[in-house]
Amino acid sequence: MAKAFALEQDRRFNKQMEISNQDIARMKAFLEFRDEDADHLASLRDMARKYTNPVIDEFYGHLLSFEETRTFFRDPKVLERVKGQQKAYFLGLTEGDYGTNYVADRLRVGTVHEHIGLAPRWYLGMYAFYLRAIAGRLMEAFASDPGKAMKLFLAMVKLAFFDMTLTINTYIYAREDALRRQQEAIRELSTPVLQIRDRLLLLPIVGVIDSQRARLITEGVLRAIRDSRARVVVMDVTGVATIDSRVANHLLQTVAAARLMGATVIVTGLSAEVAQSLVGLGIDLTTLNTVGDLQGGIEEGERLLGFRVVKAGNGAQPA
Amino acid sequence: MLIASIQSALSDHDLVQLREELTSRIGSLRARGVVIDVAALDVLDSFATRTIRGIAYTVKLRGAETVVVGIQPAVAYSMVQLGLTLESVATALDLEEGIALLNRTLSTRSRRGG
Repeated sequence: MAKAFALEQDRRFNKQMEISNQDIARMKAFLEFRDEDADHLASLRDMARKYTNPVIDEFYGHLLSFEETRTFFRDPKVLERVKGQQKAYFLGLTEGDYGTNYVADRLRVGTVHEHIGLAPRWYLGMYAFYLRAIAGRLMEAFASDPGKAMKLFLAMVKLAFFDMTLTINTYIYAREDALRRQQEAIRELSTPVLQIRDRLLLLPIVGVIDSQRARLITEGVLRAIRDSRARVVVMDVTGVATIDSRVANHLLQTVAAARLMGATVIVTGLSAEVAQSLVGLGIDLTTLNTVGDLQGGIEEGERLLGFRVVKAGNGAQPA
Repeated sequence: MLIASIQSALSDHDLVQLREELTSRIGSLRARGVVIDVAALDVLDSFATRTIRGIAYTVKLRGAETVVVGIQPAVAYSMVQLGLTLESVATALDLEEGIALLNRTLSTRSRRGG
């Protein structure tokens, strides 16, 4: 289930990140990663096969020697599995084809690492390890031709940076996505419309009201009026610290829109300071149906709807 | 009681015709209340709003009450954005509510001997 979700999320990421072939080409051009570099890398295939096992063993030796990275490989089975994947990746470096599939694979791997909570510094750090390991072996193999070794190594460096760029993209994208979802959650939380009696809604407004939020509030109220067939809405603004002319205008609009749907809005909780500053600013809210506090507003709403709240006889009863 | 249910988008001409018909029918049917149901409309522009308000005023002069019912949330929102608030025209959520409101208004009025 979790895996299916992760896969689904990967697909969504890759689709939303939308790295087109053109983007890939531009990235490669910027890194000066050319066809000859791809050929260089492809020429190392046999060498890569030869060194895969020792390099990967060193790779995990290094990872396991640090507490922060060791925690990810507690389970020997996991270690075996990721080792296999790492080998495939290492061999893939000399595949010679660094197109769409390669990119998609990189993005997927980046997303997985982000998902398990591996911080970018460890992830990127391992590129330094790879480059170090490869540099040593290249110098060994091309001891007689250091120029050739350097060319091959630079091709490898470019590819490593290409990979890192893609990975960092996935990290950034995942964070942005999380942020977006949080903002959505906050927006939803910020405009609750609560039913407190049959046909009586309560709309507590807390915090700053801007145009966008005012629109969401109004739309939410109107929908709630229709859905619960409300006739009275108590709008409590105790939690709104300041009301300027713009906010006042939003409130008036909400009230007018609710009235068009046949509902009366009672505004409560205009504090002494807010009331004074409204008058000071010359903003006329006298057309609003206002009641001092929330309790009074609810009582007024009940009265309008014909409810009568009677205290059940108990405690201090008149003799 | 008269119920005018608007079923589809009305042209300006249709609206004027509706006004004429309603005002004359009030007399012939001795109606004391009019419900205008706009639930099927997904837009109410300034002309439509003005005409509906005009109907309400005319009906009033003919001795009856008007309730506009069925304004949809999105319509209500765009109306207030345009500053069209149908002030001093009674509104209700839907037909049922509108009729209930009219009954309430008319009964208080007759109690007062109006």
